[in-house]
Amino acid sequence: MTTTSLFTPSRRRLLQTAGAGLLTSAMPSYVWGQAAPLKIGFQLHRTGIGASYGRWYERTTTAAAAAINAAGGIAGREVQIHYEDDATDPKRGAEVVEKLAGPAGCDLIMGTLFSHVVMGSAPRAGELKIPYLVCSEGYHVASGALNRWVLQPGITDVRQQISAMAPWVAENLGKKVTMIYPDYAFGHDHRDHFPAAIEAQGGEVIAQIAIPPTETSFTRYLPQIPADTEVLYHVMVGPAVLTFVKELGEFYGSGAKPALFGFIDSLEAVDTASPGLEFLEGSHFWEGHCRAKPADAGADETAYRAAVGVDDNGCSVSDAKDVSTYAHMFSCWETLYFIKEAIETSGYSSPADRQKLVEAMEAITDLPAGPERPQGAMVFDGKKHQAFGVQNISKVEGGKLVRVHQTTLEESLYDNATDYTALSF
Amino acid sequence: MRRQIKHKAQGGCHGRLTPVPAGLSVLLVPGAAWACALPPSVILTLPTRHYITAAALTVALTALLAALAGRLPQMGAQVWARRRDWLPASLTSYVSFLAFLGLVLIGFFGPRDPMHNLMTLVFWTVIWIVVPLASAVFGNIWRPINPWTGPVRIARTLLGRSTGIGLARLGAWPAIGFYLWFIWFQMISSSPDDPAVLAQAALTYWAIIFVLAVAEGEDWLEEGEFFTLLFGFVSRIAPLWAERQDGQLTRMIGWPGAQVLRMAPLSRGSMVFIALVLSALTFEGLSETFFWQGLIGQNPLEPMGRSAVAWQNSFGLLAVFALTLSLLAIGMQLGEKLSQGGMRADRIMLSFLAIASGYHGAHYLMMLLTAGQYTLAALNDPFMSGDSWLGLPPFYVSFGFLTDARIMPLLYGTQFVLILGAHLLAVVLSFQLSGPQRPIAHLPLTILMVGYTVLGLWLLSTARSG
Repeated sequence: MTTTSLFTPSRRRLLQTAGAGLLTSAMPSYVWGQAAPLKIGFQLHRTGIGASYGRWYERTTTAAAAAINAAGGIAGREVQIHYEDDATDPKRGAEVVEKLAGPAGCDLIMGTLFSHVVMGSAPRAGELKIPYLVCSEGYHVASGALNRWVLQPGITDVRQQISAMAPWVAENLGKKVTMIYPDYAFGHDHRDHFPAAIEAQGGEVIAQIAIPPTETSFTRYLPQIPADTEVLYHVMVGPAVLTFVKELGEFYGSGAKPALFGFIDSLEAVDTASPGLEFLEGSHFWEGHCRAKPADAGADETAYRAAVGVDDNGCSVSDAKDVSTYAHMFSCWETLYFIKEAIETSGYSSPADRQKLVEAMEAITDLPAGPERPQGAMVFDGKKHQAFGVQNISKVEGGKLVRVHQTTLEESLYDNATDYTALSF
Repeated sequence: MRRQIKHKAQGGCHGRLTPVPAGLSVLLVPGAAWACALPPSVILTLPTRHYITAAALTVALTALLAALAGRLPQMGAQVWARRRDWLPASLTSYVSFLAFLGLVLIGFFGPRDPMHNLMTLVFWTVIWIVVPLASAVFGNIWRPINPWTGPVRIARTLLGRSTGIGLARLGAWPAIGFYLWFIWFQMISSSPDDPAVLAQAALTYWAIIFVLAVAEGEDWLEEGEFFTLLFGFVSRIAPLWAERQDGQLTRMIGWPGAQVLRMAPLSRGSMVFIALVLSALTFEGLSETFFWQGLIGQNPLEPMGRSAVAWQNSFGLLAVFALTLSLLAIGMQLGEKLSQGGMRADRIMLSFLAIASGYHGAHYLMMLLTAGQYTLAALNDPFMSGDSWLGLPPFYVSFGFLTDARIMPLLYGTQFVLILGAHLLAVVLSFQLSGPQRPIAHLPLTILMVGYTVLGLWLLSTARSG
């Protein structure tokens, strides 16, 4: 099994040579005692459609493990990350859970991103009674669809992202909104949750345009945008996004256009200054974690970037063109620190204590900002098994994403009937 | 192997929820999907239709000019150097075999992450991509590193075997069977990248071939083992190659394809094998397209993974194979009829070696540039100890170029040149191989080649989920 990344030692040297490794180079070389290592299984989208995210999720997790180990590990135990590829395939996802829980002897599992892999794997984690901490952003955890062993403590879900931003959109961009989204579950999340959120602010969705997922040209859909649209809410994803932006630009030309509001998911890992994206200049995006380092960012944000090897533009320190999946990958870092807190408070020592560990996780509420949470403060809802946090709205200025607003934590909160603590283990 | 939806959700779905199959629940649960992992494609914004049209016209016009002019470039070859063949292939093969064993051990006991495991990385990038690419330029480099010839020769010597069991009579048909199994493993099975799965498959295949070759003789590998047959075919396009005779090694240089003109007619099995190579490359490209995903009912923005579509893709692969074989057979028969028997399929089919080589290079270029970085990193520091065996400075694997609006058009341009160049070479070779014929006799084959040019470039430029 992979216990550390291939790049761990290289990263250290790389950061030193890049002048960004002050934190890492200052880390003491820890000598481990008798305690056995803590084995954390990482269900990695190394291949398949999620591979571009998997690369950064691995890099972030490896950096977090290195930082934790340099500071004495978890409860005095060295953290070992066991990466196992699930090929972004739900069936293989369940097999990976079995491998990590069985032959690999992991204490718990984390890191899954794609929701369909989460849905394919979570039941097996429940059967094997192993904590399964996902970094997936989907509403599937908080909706109550999963089981007692599945938690999402390191990233907010789409529902809270949508409802937290609606007030700002209504107040600053306009109240008549047209939504354009891919016609499948990801788009449906937005279709289903945004109208109520904007109506609560006195706004309304005047049109919803669903685009078939196989579509690669959008010219025949754009005339469906009502002329009195004040805000065009777009969440297109996939290889045709550049085409979408280009055709949107051609559709409006240099004339009047509505304000644009999108999710960075459309352009995650893509340079917003890329040729062809000029039409997005001045538009706004949701960001889970700001790719371009905000002017008021503190030491925690700086340390996190240095540890992962990301510069102030959110790009790899070794390649300024290699844009990270910055808006999402912090979830790996924060999930690992959540694990650390739960293990240390629960007194977890072996897989026999897994139930006790989940109960300790459910008891956690405050997740204050700090080195553990460079994205910002969160609260954890033990009933919903979901973290709630702040959201960022950034504006494209000169091709760069500049944060213009950060929602409050309270704006993200919502209520539903989910209570995993009422379920048996 | 349709994705098996596990009916095991009961253990994980207590309380309010009615237990549903895990896979089905994906469709039922709101907010279950999250799919933004495909980076936007710069290629989709390029006017690729114009490029494809221009390429098709170029291939058609080349054929027309060749047919009307009746003159073709001389594709000669020259001796570049001669020396003694001091490094016997059986020795290098044995060393290669030991390296193969080492890779298998790494596959079983090394890192589980395929992008950190040399078994996965070396096999899929070096053996499967670099070796054929290099062979298409520098001649058959598989020959010295073939991991069977040395061990087989040693085993046959120790066993005192000098005769065969008649396998050679089967020609290329065993290679066709093994290659079909291989491409199914590569394109359709769930875990071809899993180091242990790959090591097991490779070791099993090596052992089967070893036993057969020991029984039949190592010469059988040339036509009966698919790597040897495939890489041997690809190397026939190379402008540089080596010829061996009586302990002498003669290095040759000539036009790409010059070797093809000197080849013996193909056996029926070899012709089918070449058709299968073309089909495999076509289907591998096709299976990732939005077009195919839509055809088999997959959402290309959130495909359910290989395990969910194994049956559909198996059928698709066989259908593409059947279609390719049929079209080639019809084209060849029409050509033969129109030329009154002058254009023989067993000769003309050799021209398709150029297309197979060019498409292999174009198709795997991106994989070489991405996974190849992991291979370099792993070779540079195989024990993850901070070493630098290749002398490379520490580096992060970097895919920034994939969304770079300046670099991606250049890469597409490279693929375009490879595809177009391969088809132009194929047209010229088909004319050379058929000798003087009525211009109309070339029409069926020219239509096929124009069609394949369009298909090859479309596959590289259309929206894909891979």
